Amino acid sequence: MSRKILIVDDEEVIRKFLKIHLVKLGYEVTEAADGVQALEQLGRDDFDLLICDILMPKKDGWEVIREMKSNPKTKSIPVIVLTAKNEDSDMFKGYNLGANYYMTKPFTKSQLIYGLKLMLGETSEEIRA
Amino acid sequence: MKLFYPLVLFDTGIVSFGMYLSEKMTTDFYLVFFLIIIFASISRNFKLLMVIGGITALLYGILLYSWGLLTNEEGSSYTLRIPFIFIMTAFYGYIVQTLTKEKRKALTISEDKYRGLFENANEGIVLLRNPQLQIADVNREVEKVIGYTKEELLLKDFFDLFIPEETEKARDFFKEVDEKGEGRADYLSLTKKDGSPVEVDFSIKRIDLGRESFHQMIFRDLTEQRKLEKKIRQSKRNLEAIFDGIRDQLSIQAPDYRILRVNRAVIEHYQTVFEKLIDRKCYEAYFLRSEPCDRCPVSVTIETKQPAFSTMKRSEDNTTLQVFSYPIFDEKGDLLSAIEYTKDITEQQRLQEQLIQSEKLAGIGVLASGVAHEINNPLSGIIGMAEIALEEEDPSKKKGYLMDILECGQRIQEIVKGLRSYSRAAKKEELSRVDLNGILEESLKMVQLAVKASSAEVIKDFQCVEKIQANVGEIQQVFTNLITNAFQAIDGKGGKLGLSTRSTDDSVEVKVSDNGKGIPHKYLNQIFDPFFTTKNPGEGTGLGLNIVYRIVSKYEGTIDVESNERIGTTFTIKFPIRRAEL
Repeated sequence: MSRKILIVDDEEVIRKFLKIHLVKLGYEVTEAADGVQALEQLGRDDFDLLICDILMPKKDGWEVIREMKSNPKTKSIPVIVLTAKNEDSDMFKGYNLGANYYMTKPFTKSQLIYGLKLMLGETSEEIRA
Repeated sequence: MKLFYPLVLFDTGIVSFGMYLSEKMTTDFYLVFFLIIIFASISRNFKLLMVIGGITALLYGILLYSWGLLTNEEGSSYTLRIPFIFIMTAFYGYIVQTLTKEKRKALTISEDKYRGLFENANEGIVLLRNPQLQIADVNREVEKVIGYTKEELLLKDFFDLFIPEETEKARDFFKEVDEKGEGRADYLSLTKKDGSPVEVDFSIKRIDLGRESFHQMIFRDLTEQRKLEKKIRQSKRNLEAIFDGIRDQLSIQAPDYRILRVNRAVIEHYQTVFEKLIDRKCYEAYFLRSEPCDRCPVSVTIETKQPAFSTMKRSEDNTTLQVFSYPIFDEKGDLLSAIEYTKDITEQQRLQEQLIQSEKLAGIGVLASGVAHEINNPLSGIIGMAEIALEEEDPSKKKGYLMDILECGQRIQEIVKGLRSYSRAAKKEELSRVDLNGILEESLKMVQLAVKASSAEVIKDFQCVEKIQANVGEIQQVFTNLITNAFQAIDGKGGKLGLSTRSTDDSVEVKVSDNGKGIPHKYLNQIFDPFFTTKNPGEGTGLGLNIVYRIVSKYEGTIDVESNERIGTTFTIKFPIRRAEL
């Protein structure tokens, strides 16, 4: 059974290429365009990984992480923060809230796959590929 | 006394007329009669006069008897002459006596008056008997001032009363008084009984009392006055020290602009001397002009008698001066002079410009990081899509990916374009006619890039307003700060940002409003203070609104804030417009 990943980003183009990459890698992908949608999806389905943008309308990424990490049902889902906010203070804030990996935009496919495999605990050969 | 002679003449006339009517006038009777009048006139003693009158009557009786007039048939009428003479003597004598008594009484009264004045005068009075200047009398004040008793003084040599060093001076002074009959001196000191000197102020006059000639010396103890003078001198020195010690320029001008006084700061500033400024017109001496300067607060004070204030630029040395003028009045409330206080704020203004500049840089930093973020999103899209396109074999799919890349690239182009026009404006230093609506639009775009609040609805209500004379960068700074704050105050959905402009009679009004969380009432009077911030450290400098305030004030505008918690905040800025300039 393929693993499920939830992508949250208000940028359509980013969701689009992430999805193409991840589908190619054999994952099942769900999209959300803002924090509210993301929390809805999280409540509706079980996910193996959350890739989450920070600056979004309605509810930002920080709030999404805070809420899911305080919900016992979703608490254990690993989170990759994907953001253009690249200051150290933002990174610390992310880790403090319970994010597991921090990736700043722009990024390459290999950077994405590295973080992805790391979070999902998959083999390193696949990373090299 | 004045009535005496007319009265005597009148009486004499009446009596003579009576004697004439009784046809009894004879030369001898008249002679005796006038003799009696003469006696009465010169007599000082009534009893003696009566004796003289008696003797005269007796002698005349004997005379008449020896002439045999008493014994003839008319003898009784002659005999009556004798008591008549005696009665007349008594009558005249009485008149004279009464009048002299009154005269003496008047004299006594005036003597008493003099005595009273003499004793109770606040001045010391010494009577010196001429010509040897022997002390004849002194009053109580003399005893009080120099400590000797009257009895001791009457035995002392007058010149011993002066301090030894001044005895010669005192002798010279009295020689002069002798010649002129009077004199004044305030440079001599007397010696007290205990040997200490006392400064006095003299006036001396020769007076005659009875048949004797005196010098009346009146003196005043100057000790208290000198003490007071010393105090006044000291306080004057203190005030002068303060006046001179003030590092800002102080200049006192008469109502005709003549310079009356200046402090040292003025002398130093103009590198001149006191004498070159005094009595010259201030506008000539300070500004090398031929008439009072424009907007001079001293002119205002001279006209209105009110304090006045103005900021003036001196092109001569490129300084900015704050000039305050305060009126000084005399007792009647007329304007005596105006004190002009000039503060050189060139340096202060330079620092303020610097502060504005550095806040602008900080603001640009915030913008830059916001813009970087905004660019990073499409940039991620470009990189991600390019990688996918490289791997894609299907040309139609590839084309779709490339379209995405192109779109992302165009977005970046837009951002860079906006950034460039913003920074170009920010760099402008000089004043120009500024279109507030245009700057509001630009600032909004910039802030929207930096602060992600794209969900907030922006409601614009721009009217056609006059352009104002200003520095574009500074106006941009004002709007950017206000719009940034507004966006930051908005959270969640339904956020609204209002931007509006409108013209009033004498100003252009700009409103920036939001329906965000509002400013707590207790902070409202602090928000324009420098370094006041409710944001976390690192998120805000606390300078934003302070800079807004400074810039608006610089253009003589006003800024008002209205805020309610959870309802929102509205900032209203008014820039004055001078109709004459349009």
